[in-house]
Amino acid sequence: MRETDQKQGRGRTILGALALLSILVGLAWGLILAPPDAYQGEVQRIMYLHIPTILIAYLSFFIVFVASCLYLWKRERRDDILAYSAAEIGILFTGLTIIEGSIWGKPTWGVWWTWDARLTLTAILFLIFTGYMILRSLIEDENRGAICGAVLGIIGFLDIPLIHMSVYWWRTLHQPPSILRPDKLPWENVHPSMLLALSINFLAFLLLYFYLLALRFRVGEMQDEVKKLKLYGGQ
Amino acid sequence: MGPWGFVFLAYGIVWSCLLLYLFSLKRRQRKAAAELLQLRSTSRGTD
Repeated sequence: MRETDQKQGRGRTILGALALLSILVGLAWGLILAPPDAYQGEVQRIMYLHIPTILIAYLSFFIVFVASCLYLWKRERRDDILAYSAAEIGILFTGLTIIEGSIWGKPTWGVWWTWDARLTLTAILFLIFTGYMILRSLIEDENRGAICGAVLGIIGFLDIPLIHMSVYWWRTLHQPPSILRPDKLPWENVHPSMLLALSINFLAFLLLYFYLLALRFRVGEMQDEVKKLKLYGGQ
Repeated sequence: MGPWGFVFLAYGIVWSCLLLYLFSLKRRQRKAAAELLQLRSTSRGTD
């Protein structure tokens, strides 16, 4: 057990070092090497944060969705810990996306916030998963809390396709996707130098995300073991 | 605020929040590890 812990710890350290290295490269590309946008100028550099953070938030809630389905099917504690850990990090990345979007919106749209369909649905996603955390903390029975959380986690994930399609279904201030478009390939729509900066930053955030998730999952496992030892005294 | 002001505001907030979260995770990990060690040694002592 201790050997497995040490191996996992070493794996996390390597992942953390890779994340740190890619973050530094990403910052250099995003802030210095990538050219400014022809229309928006330097402020467009917020895109190198904004797109990776929302994609990571989507990924995190997808992990909540899959782990919640697995928990409802197999009732294994590990799946619930994974869902809870991913939800916590997903909320952080959604909150950051909303803040960056607001800072980007002021110089480009002239407002910090508007009740645009995409912005509103993203705020709803943030509120659903904040509700998920509150619900989990309010239910004392661990199994009941996990079941209720899994159901809410599955329902909450269904908001993401709505967020993605909102710019097509409604007339919105938010622009349509630049990368994930059905009609164009990414390099047909974004200049290669900007696409490279975006890809490096996405990779950096992805590595950071898996590092944070591995760490949060380990904390969850340890807290679970502490609870068990307190309840049953190690039997 | 100029364009770089908005850029640095966004980058500053994002990286400060991520660093704070990372430090909070490390603190929670240390706390859980210490608690586990204490509980394990207590349960070994009573065996």
